[in-house]
Amino acid sequence: MSNFSYRSDYVYDANDPFGHMQEEFPRESEFDVVIIGGGPNGLIAGAYLARAGLRVVICERRFEVGGGLATEENLYPCYSSNPHVLYHMMVDYMPVIRDFDLDGPALTWIKPNAQTGIVFEDGSSLLLTRQVQDTKDSILKHSLKDATTFGKVIRDWKRIVGEIVAPATYIPPMAPIDITMAMERTAVGRAMLEIGEQSPLEIINDTFEHEKVRTLMLYAACMWGLDPRETGLGFMVPLMLDRTMNKCYCYGGSHKFAGALARQVVKHGGLILEAAPVKKILMEGGRAAGVEIGHEGRSIRAKAVMSTLDPHTTFLDLVGPAHLPASLKEEVEGWAWDKWSFNTLHIATHEPPKYATDDPWINESFATVVGIESVDQLLAHWDAVVAGRIDLGAFGGHSTCESLFDPTLSDRPGKYVSMFQIHAPYDLEGGWPERRAAIEAAMLAKWRKVAPNLTADTILATSMEDPEEIEIRFPQMRRGSIKHGDYRPLQMGCFRPNLDCSGTDTPIEGLYACGASTYPGGLILGGPGYLGANKVADELGVERWWKPTPEMERYIKTYLEE
Amino acid sequence: MGKDERFDVVIIGGGPNGMTTAAYLAKCGLRVCVLEERTECGGACETVEPIPGVRIYPHAMLMYASAAPGFEQLELHKYGFRMEWDPKDLLEADVGGLACSDGWRSITPKDQMGWAKLGGMLGQPSFTRELMRSAFWCPPHPPEVEVTDENTPYMQVYRKYQPDIWTPELREMTMFDLLDEHCETEHFKTAMAFAAWASGAAGHWEGVAVPATLCVQLLTLPNMGRTSIPRGGLHGYFHAILRAAVHRGATIRTSSPVDEILIEDGRAVGVRLRETAASGGRTIRAEKAVIAACDVHQAFLDLVGPQHLDPGVIQKIRDISLKNQTLYVSTFHTKTPLRFNDRFKNVPDSKYVGPDRHPMAGIFPCDSREIYYENVADVDGRKGQPTVPPERAMWFQTPPQGFDPTDCQGHYPRGYISPAFEMAVTSPDYHVEGEDALDRHKEDMDRFMRESFSQMLDGLDDDNILHHWSASGRDVEFRNTGLIGGTWCGSRHDEDQLWTNRPIPELARYRTPIEGLYHAHQTSGHPGGLCLMAIPYNLMHILIEDGIADPGSWWYASPYYIPQEGKRSAMRG
Ligand SMILES: Cc1cc2nc3c(=O)[nH]c(=O)nc-3n(C[C@H](O)[C@H](O)[C@H](O)COP(=O)(O)OP(=O)(O)OC[C@H]3O[C@@H](n4cnc5c(N)ncnc54)[C@H](O)[C@@H]3O)c2cc1C
Ligand SMILES: Cc1cc2nc3c(=O)[nH]c(=O)nc-3n(C[C@H](O)[C@H](O)[C@H](O)COP(=O)(O)OP(=O)(O)OC[C@H]3O[C@@H](n4cnc5c(N)ncnc54)[C@H](O)[C@@H]3O)c2cc1C
Repeated sequence: MSNFSYRSDYVYDANDPFGHMQEEFPRESEFDVVIIGGGPNGLIAGAYLARAGLRVVICERRFEVGGGLATEENLYPCYSSNPHVLYHMMVDYMPVIRDFDLDGPALTWIKPNAQTGIVFEDGSSLLLTRQVQDTKDSILKHSLKDATTFGKVIRDWKRIVGEIVAPATYIPPMAPIDITMAMERTAVGRAMLEIGEQSPLEIINDTFEHEKVRTLMLYAACMWGLDPRETGLGFMVPLMLDRTMNKCYCYGGSHKFAGALARQVVKHGGLILEAAPVKKILMEGGRAAGVEIGHEGRSIRAKAVMSTLDPHTTFLDLVGPAHLPASLKEEVEGWAWDKWSFNTLHIATHEPPKYATDDPWINESFATVVGIESVDQLLAHWDAVVAGRIDLGAFGGHSTCESLFDPTLSDRPGKYVSMFQIHAPYDLEGGWPERRAAIEAAMLAKWRKVAPNLTADTILATSMEDPEEIEIRFPQMRRGSIKHGDYRPLQMGCFRPNLDCSGTDTPIEGLYACGASTYPGGLILGGPGYLGANKVADELGVERWWKPTPEMERYIKTYLEE
Repeated sequence: MGKDERFDVVIIGGGPNGMTTAAYLAKCGLRVCVLEERTECGGACETVEPIPGVRIYPHAMLMYASAAPGFEQLELHKYGFRMEWDPKDLLEADVGGLACSDGWRSITPKDQMGWAKLGGMLGQPSFTRELMRSAFWCPPHPPEVEVTDENTPYMQVYRKYQPDIWTPELREMTMFDLLDEHCETEHFKTAMAFAAWASGAAGHWEGVAVPATLCVQLLTLPNMGRTSIPRGGLHGYFHAILRAAVHRGATIRTSSPVDEILIEDGRAVGVRLRETAASGGRTIRAEKAVIAACDVHQAFLDLVGPQHLDPGVIQKIRDISLKNQTLYVSTFHTKTPLRFNDRFKNVPDSKYVGPDRHPMAGIFPCDSREIYYENVADVDGRKGQPTVPPERAMWFQTPPQGFDPTDCQGHYPRGYISPAFEMAVTSPDYHVEGEDALDRHKEDMDRFMRESFSQMLDGLDDDNILHHWSASGRDVEFRNTGLIGGTWCGSRHDEDQLWTNRPIPELARYRTPIEGLYHAHQTSGHPGGLCLMAIPYNLMHILIEDGIADPGSWWYASPYYIPQEGKRSAMRG
């Protein structure tokens, strides 16, 4: 029973002490679909297509699939954490979870009520929760008006998200003009168009009046890389704020999600090759015909080649400029990387961080913003980061104690792992290797200021991952681009990565692009891989065994059907 | 939470033995569920990335399994199995010398010929594979059969192919005795005996001369003194096994520690998960068998529980010796590469491996068996912190993590990552200062390690070291609950705990006093530790005897297997 065809180069020799160990995965093989990259998008595409009966192989460069869905023992020995994806924001909507029944015995999602808090140096705090009235209670401490506004506006925003933005994530992109026409059909649609014209800063400032409320709301709206002052992506503010109150933790660590997806791929006959970096996309007669792996001299032929890597790697490195239409080459060269990256400090401790604050509930919060006192300071911090600096006096970030939700991360019973993540430039003035130690010390000091128990006695181990290291682990996250490329109006919607490729097919026949740099984009949305699978299933003429989710059906009916 | 889930077979533990068992049984068409405590399967067959781009192997690194029937029976090549062959021509590889206090000493042709002969390489044709299979890939004989020179599998193989090795004393000897008979130099014998101590059965134990020798042969012979590793490390090899299981329909649940084996009317009928399991403390039913692929202490003392076993058996299980030394594993991140010091500078090219030309120290110091005994006395006798001076502490170094320049994690742009260094130290469970002694002594131990390794290598000074990652036996016990005693193989491979005595005679054929409950872990079954796919293959014979597994034509049994009286034979055709 083999789900691919191959030519065996193995000759059995009864006397050979190596025995059958010498029979290896063949040098030449043929599949229907080869997927480059085993991150969330590659795994999702692979799972759908394998289950559709296609012969699928996923080539992953690292020794473990998962891409950003990583859980690593980075506080070796004995303490693991989630160096990349920690906050799963689209669990409520992702088709893959429903279609593969990934919420049950195989995978457990934890969605705490206390979602995103902030602590200020004066001991005050604010907490955004899953249950709306709890958030209102917290805002009430600061401003009755903002609490009242929040209660109203969040209802509208949730509607925009639930009816439009979330389901549209899993439906191919539309041209701006078509979106406008579709949205005109309903009041919710019109509200979305209106908000889309504003910048995040305008939306937050227009909606809320209290400085502390504005500060947290702006942080949550832009932490994934929206420019606070840029107009055109305002519709993402409701999405980011709603999702910052509805994110999930993956019990056992984010890698468990990858493991569950990988088992779906294999269960349905797909193959996964790790330690298999693709170094070339084979081109034949202008068409993508397969891939060549690393230094092994192995080649895999396929009818469809799906790349989940960034546009530079896919088109310039793997296909090669000679095979690209001039316009595509130009578009790829103009691709803009993320405006900032992350620098993350992980610690193992005897006890969880205890914040000195007016609301002990903050200590149970999934995420807590630390070090940011005002909107101006936040803007100055981001401006500095974009300019290549970290102002050690005025930076801040978000922290999480993962062990509160997941005792499995620590092999030593009763110990805790936590992380503190800040926005950070890839090109740091002074250089990362040179400045790492000072930045780590400053982060610890900043954290300890609001969580005084984080003393040297409490801390068992620390480990910091800087933006250069993100790229060392994952070259497709160029310049530490956690989303494979910036969120800006000309790189979103039907422009992601460009007009030619945003439908996941590309001007090169047989080649598809369905990673974070393709519509709908980065983070664990599960969008690009899903849309890529839809496209390839159609083009290879196999039936889709899956149906749109009910939210998508409703959206299609309301906004897209004649 | 709805109804209990039901499977034919529930396997506790997703290490190499549990997963290989799952792959075999799933291939037989059984509905199999593997329950693994950690978030990732693999047990001690794992890779970690402590800082981005740096891959280290906390436990298993080297491939010993080449003779395994599993490659063929489970068709691992179809699930992506690939090897990273040593780029050099195997037969011409220069094995270089052995490191002793006064520098390199060479291995003589007599050493080499004697060693090759013991490993079956000089037979016409070579009978290495058959010899290995007879020693590791054959279930222990049934209790009613007396073990004799005539029916011991490896004795049969020697008698058939190399009668001059066969002597009536062969089953009584120590490995040193055997080496004294067939090899020449003291340093060669010391090195091999030490490698045996670290790979299975020790060089000075009576009655295990051949198993001890063959453990080391499993490593050296197919590699001619150098080593090849699977692409992706041993965890990559494990992935192929895992996928063979999943593809055949096995269900894998991670973050699912088992808390109890459910026993009704003396029969194992399922398991209950711990409350911290991803799906809570659920019950999972097994209609045909429960297989404990977790450590033998936990399996019987905790999961089964004393109420189901008689006190005599319980005492024997408690007494299973874990004294098999713990490997204290160190990996270094340095600014400049480590280099041989003046005493060891004069070496052939083959002593450097990989794109960064890591020096390969091998085993040090191999001067004489006196040094070996000094180390043994500290570790297994005095059972405390080392009293041997750092220059006489024995250690070995494994090949570098990646020996190809294009290996994406074999090269680190911010400095140099050393191969792993391993030293045998006392198991935490026996440490005279208490089981947490190694936690208290960790900094001292790290310093001691660096001093010992500095006997051969320059570059381990504070100025040059950016990180020293180390895992003590104590860390290991927490990281991987399968590694009881913090030892690499869990329980000692001595005559009292090997073959028909492993782990105790009552459990030797992978059956247990509880009907429907079998065991398949390195601590509990012959041949013990290493990622060999051997325990599952041997267990298959028993499950066929008991009518649980019914494999297709792909199955073949060990030619040396003796069926249990009154049972169906696992031998086909
Ligand atoms: C520090 C950090 C924190 C983050 N936090 C979150 C979070 O909390 N929530 C969230 O939703 N998102 C988060 N993200 C973003 C998220 O990880 C990514 O947007 C997401 O993983 C993108 O998925 P992908 O499948 O498109 O690509 P990736 O996850 O980048 O996967 C691509 C895969 O391709 C492999 N690959 C690369 N080159 C080759 C090659 N030549 N051949 C074969 N394989 C190759 C890579 O090894 C990788 O496995 C974070 C990212 C970072 C870096
Ligand atoms: C330092 C070191 C070096 C080594 N070097 C090598 C080498 O070079 N080559 C080689 O072949 N071997 C080597 N080994 C040995 C090899 O790793 C082991 O022999 C092998 O992993 C044993 O496999 P196993 O499946 O029996 O047990 P394990 O690998 O211990 O797996 C048992 C599994 O069961 C799980 N488990 C335990 N309790 C429960 C429970 N209650 N519920 C659910 N799951 C549970 C554990 O989490 C674990 O995953 C080395 C080991 C060490 C420690």
